[in-house]
Amino acid sequence: MTLQEPTPEEIEERAAIDRSARYPVMFFFTSAAAWLLVATLLGFISSLKLRLPGLWDDYSILGYGRLFPAHLNALFYGWGMQAGVGVMLWLMARLTRNQLSNQAGILVAGHIWNAGVTFAVLTVWLGYGNSLPLLDFPKWVWLFLSASYLLIVVGVIPMFRRRRESLVYVSEMYLVGAALWFPWIFITANIIIGKGTAPVMASGVNAWYITNLIYFWMAPIALAIAYYIVPKIAGRPIYSYPLAQASFWLLAFLAGWTGFSRFMGGPFPAWMPAVSGAATIFILLAILATVFNLLVTLKGCSKLWEYSPSLRFTVFGMLMLAVYAVLAALSSTYSFGRDLQFSHFLVGLDTLAIYGFFSMTVFGAIYFIVPRITGAEWPSGKRIRTHFWYSTYGIITLVVTMLIGGIAQGGNLAQWDQTFSTSFVNSAAYVVGRALAWAMISFSNISFLYQLTLMFIGKGRKSEGPTLIHTQPGEAESAKMAAGLQE
Amino acid sequence: MKPNKFVNLIAGLATAFALPLILLIIIPFVRQSDSVPIHYPEGQEVEGGVAAYPDATLYRFGSSDFGAQVYAAEGCAYCHTQVIRPTYAGPDMWRPGWGGREEEGLARETQPLDYTLEEIAPLGYQRIGQDLSNVGHRITTRELMHQHLLNPKEIDPDSGMPAYKHLYQMSPFGKGWEPTAKAEALVDYLLSLKKDQPLPEVAGTKG
Repeated sequence: MTLQEPTPEEIEERAAIDRSARYPVMFFFTSAAAWLLVATLLGFISSLKLRLPGLWDDYSILGYGRLFPAHLNALFYGWGMQAGVGVMLWLMARLTRNQLSNQAGILVAGHIWNAGVTFAVLTVWLGYGNSLPLLDFPKWVWLFLSASYLLIVVGVIPMFRRRRESLVYVSEMYLVGAALWFPWIFITANIIIGKGTAPVMASGVNAWYITNLIYFWMAPIALAIAYYIVPKIAGRPIYSYPLAQASFWLLAFLAGWTGFSRFMGGPFPAWMPAVSGAATIFILLAILATVFNLLVTLKGCSKLWEYSPSLRFTVFGMLMLAVYAVLAALSSTYSFGRDLQFSHFLVGLDTLAIYGFFSMTVFGAIYFIVPRITGAEWPSGKRIRTHFWYSTYGIITLVVTMLIGGIAQGGNLAQWDQTFSTSFVNSAAYVVGRALAWAMISFSNISFLYQLTLMFIGKGRKSEGPTLIHTQPGEAESAKMAAGLQE
Repeated sequence: MKPNKFVNLIAGLATAFALPLILLIIIPFVRQSDSVPIHYPEGQEVEGGVAAYPDATLYRFGSSDFGAQVYAAEGCAYCHTQVIRPTYAGPDMWRPGWGGREEEGLARETQPLDYTLEEIAPLGYQRIGQDLSNVGHRITTRELMHQHLLNPKEIDPDSGMPAYKHLYQMSPFGKGWEPTAKAEALVDYLLSLKKDQPLPEVAGTKG
């Protein structure tokens, strides 16, 4: 069974929706890509500082304890949130067949968000942070961020309400979920930490917030993209709609329970880490079912992912999501997690989430969306290839070195009769891997930002055929089919 | 679309989220917000004769609150934990000095009560450096603590800690580095980190 060919009216309608989304979505994508480059450079310098602590130690802003949180904030609030919001606006408009209204308001709120991220990064970097990863900015910054987020997504839910088809797409469910869940966890976590009356819960809520960002924001956005792009490019509906729905609800009901297993044996009632660990393990079922569902949909179309940049990034992101779910489940058991707790493994896992599956899938969406809303094609397939491969090398290097380095470090920490510094010395070589990985990721994103800026200022390639990774654009017989551009 | 589908989806999402929010976050938060230092019962002998644990007058002194802010702002918690796990979850108790004063039989894992007078318990993100729950027992003098901050490699050549030179300034009279107010506050805070006091033996406070 294949999808129906669109009628000319439908094509015109889609073009009108794309035009309505052009300026807000391009604004979010471009500023997100700029923040991503900043974040990857900070990631590189902070990893270097972890290996060479004596480097530039006259300067307070070049300490690891300042650089690393600045890197995390730029990476998540600067890149992750903005890219996710951009995808959410466009995808929701397309799926519900509504034009994006209130572009000016969204653009203003987008500028406020960027100002908020700048404050967040600078305050932490200049030494006003509180050492809670991703929640370490001063109290007034989060009011700023949540106000502008609410201004941006206040239109998303009504759009869903005005949808014109009776079938609810799985992508829409994930988008509505992400739109509602993020402010909820963000505001809850900030209120509890801001109160300052429950010290241990402040740290616990911080861990809860990070895993909830992964399962309630990054995973829903990535899955909404995958459930859209994979059927679109394969030209057939999703393999099993009931399975997709079931795994959505499984994730929805479990994700809020995760997080406390990061503090196994910490000063919490023992049931809290235990429940979190169990939830993380059961989420594995939802994720594996979802990834299976998507890959089976692609069965017989494996050639496509050699050509289509969107599909290649998305499929890679989904594979990374499966890897993430497996590693997260393993590390939330006592037998595996007790030695990996507090080790480099944790950084590897968090980076795998934000770069490995979330960012890679979002890149897939951006390669799909931007030509449609700007009416031009990507300038160079070669640069897309550079972006894909250096990102892939980077993230795999990072995850493998942090996983093995984490085992080495955790193993040394467990040898209580050795001096403490053996754990630092023996894992130092793996930290070099982390620095190299960020250098590669940084390099790959220079070519991404360059191409995106060309598209932003209207210097894209004017052409009938889409830009593909391998063939010369528009030449190969398979090119149009490969990009799935029946529209 | 049919309104009931919309309502069902929103209601489902809200339920999925409200359950853990209330049971895992709000209730433990409210319960912990009520916690206050617990008085030692009559008959339990405590050194220093303090009346309750944790005791603000004895263990948190001077500018230790400002010190905690410096600790947080410099990102110390990204590399240093303040958690001693029970032995089923990790061998922290076996590492010399981590759990407290072993010779005096006072070493133990950290409990929620240990953090009661703090605003945020800096449990930590990674363990690149040593656990600091009981660093006040391992490094006992101000001079040594300053030396750890200013020149950690002098104490352990393999140390992975950067020198916090920006917390010190060069003395105009050539006496070497002099600590700023921030460094003094940080040292106050670090010296006050002693989470091995015996817990009050009151029914219902253990575990």
